Amino acid sequence: MLEMNPAPVLVEDMIALTQRLYHEARLLDAERFEDWLELLCDDVTYRMDLKRRRFRADRSPPAAVGAGVVFNENIARLKLRIDRLRSGYVWAEDPPNFVRRVISNVEIEPADAENEVIVHSVIVIHRNRIDGLARQFTAGRTDRWRHGTQGWCLAARDIALDHAVLPDSNINVFF
Amino acid sequence: MRIERMGREPEFSQYMDLKEGWLDRRIFSDAEIYEEELYRIFARSWLFVAHESQLPKAGDFLTTHMGEDGVIVARQPDGSIKVFLNSCPHRGNKVCFADAGNTRRFVCNYHGWAFDTGGELKGMHEEYCYDEIDIDRKKNGLKQVARVAGYKGLVFATFAEDGPSLDAWLGDFRWYLDMLLDNEDGGTELIGGCIKSVINANWKFGVENFIGDAYHAGWTHDSGCRSMNNGEPFPPVDMENSYHASVNGHGWEFGTEGVGDLFLLGRPKVMEYYERIRPKMAQRLGEMRSQIFGSVASASIFPNVSFLPGISTFRQWQPKGPMEFELKTWVIVNKSMPDDIKDEITKGVMQTFGPGGTFEMDDGENWSNCTTVNRGVVTRHERLHYRCGISRQIEHDTLPGIVYRGQYNDANQRGFYQRWLDMMEADKLDAMPERPEPRLTGVSETRDVPGLFAL
Ligand code: FES
Ligand SMILES: [Fe+2]
Repeated sequence: MLEMNPAPVLVEDMIALTQRLYHEARLLDAERFEDWLELLCDDVTYRMDLKRRRFRADRSPPAAVGAGVVFNENIARLKLRIDRLRSGYVWAEDPPNFVRRVISNVEIEPADAENEVIVHSVIVIHRNRIDGLARQFTAGRTDRWRHGTQGWCLAARDIALDHAVLPDSNINVFF
Repeated sequence: MRIERMGREPEFSQYMDLKEGWLDRRIFSDAEIYEEELYRIFARSWLFVAHESQLPKAGDFLTTHMGEDGVIVARQPDGSIKVFLNSCPHRGNKVCFADAGNTRRFVCNYHGWAFDTGGELKGMHEEYCYDEIDIDRKKNGLKQVARVAGYKGLVFATFAEDGPSLDAWLGDFRWYLDMLLDNEDGGTELIGGCIKSVINANWKFGVENFIGDAYHAGWTHDSGCRSMNNGEPFPPVDMENSYHASVNGHGWEFGTEGVGDLFLLGRPKVMEYYERIRPKMAQRLGEMRSQIFGSVASASIFPNVSFLPGISTFRQWQPKGPMEFELKTWVIVNKSMPDDIKDEITKGVMQTFGPGGTFEMDDGENWSNCTTVNRGVVTRHERLHYRCGISRQIEHDTLPGIVYRGQYNDANQRGFYQRWLDMMEADKLDAMPERPEPRLTGVSETRDVPGLFAL
């Protein structure tokens, strides 16, 4: 596809989807996970692949089997994570972390399916943990959003985390 | 090569009494003690640097650390593996910045000195500026470690010229290691790449957690277990039929119920797979080891490698100062497994012990806070309690090592710190005591051992 001339998207869609991304971020910041689940399609896929630093000239193929993923989740797995957070036994998050998401660089382009669009965005997550220290994650996201009777729902999210070494002991946070 | 720090001969025995069962907290935070650890432990131990499967062809390399010394590990045209410092002999610049890959040479970014995959200096940018007498290429290669050796796929290196062979270093622990490395024909491989994360904690807290701390699981990981297990907590452990075994500072804590860790992986297909191969495993490794495999278990190789047999996470705790380490994790599987089983295991590991895993995310906070509280000058002089199970040592016909009964125990942790102390105090590695006297001296293959020690 020629990046210079992307097919036009409707201004209404642009506004609706940008609002969705902001809304989503606010729900997650407030730990309103069940409300967030409502924004996801039943067949949602949510993944973060593992990257490693290789020389530009290195053309050797990456490992075929079991290529590294940090997240490779479906709706059931996402629910399981939320159940865990809701269990009341997560000592590492009690008192709760302060988490704030900043969403930017939203760009929309048509997808193959007629009722879907691709949405690119950047997310910065600030997290203040129980030890009082703050950490920050930066990632690019490529989403597929689908339009249905409930409005836009998230069908797929690919997260590209921009850290060769994770700057924290875990990434127990939704991107 | 003997690398020593000048000027300080501290009495390390003042920091612990393992017969009484206590440790001084300063070993987890003091900068001077940390510095000594780099000299006495990391510059002298056999350290894990790679798995053979990460370097299948000539020219394959990866970069890692031995203590805080950066090294390149590279497969040679003749099939051997070389390990050398990742630092240029010209001005010291780091030579290779990639995590891994395949190359014909390493070229330094600063002045363009070029080294082959064996570390030998092959050429310099604008070579005419050097007269013949200026440089001997043979003497200006990347510095090689003293020794490289392998055990069933794991590659180790050491900066120490003296001291035990790798086989002697692992000693009777090979009997346990084979449950991970040799439970099926064809051996193991690491798949799925390496995940690195940084944790503000002393490296020993990671190692000791895996070497023996079954005790923390039921409390720390309560939420993780309940989410995987229909809201049910961990079942109580069977203190009669579970053990701690310690050999030269390495340790394996385990049950004999055969399924606990496999269950926690949360992948029924993988569980079925192991049930299918278990009879063969019994023929191969003996009844006892086939029962141990898959049980709730965790293990560490002294000084800084850990893994969960059955869950298949394999990891290294790389020291980065007294209050920080970098955790590197991989997934370890049997080579001969079908691809769909390998895939299931990769997913299972990521979902449980990956950085976003339901279990992993509970641990870091604890280690980090166990470490950073020692910034307090009063706090750091307090002792820590390591006495759990102090009188439960047993002699066991089948199980080698220093064996304690009951999985909830501090025994392997005490064994680890005993070895730590042995190394911190020993001037000559050859003089270090074997703990315990080995049973398997002269045994090169523990698969032969079931006949000797069968139940
Ligand atoms: S420092 Fe490497 S070439 Fe000068
Ligand atoms: Fe843990």
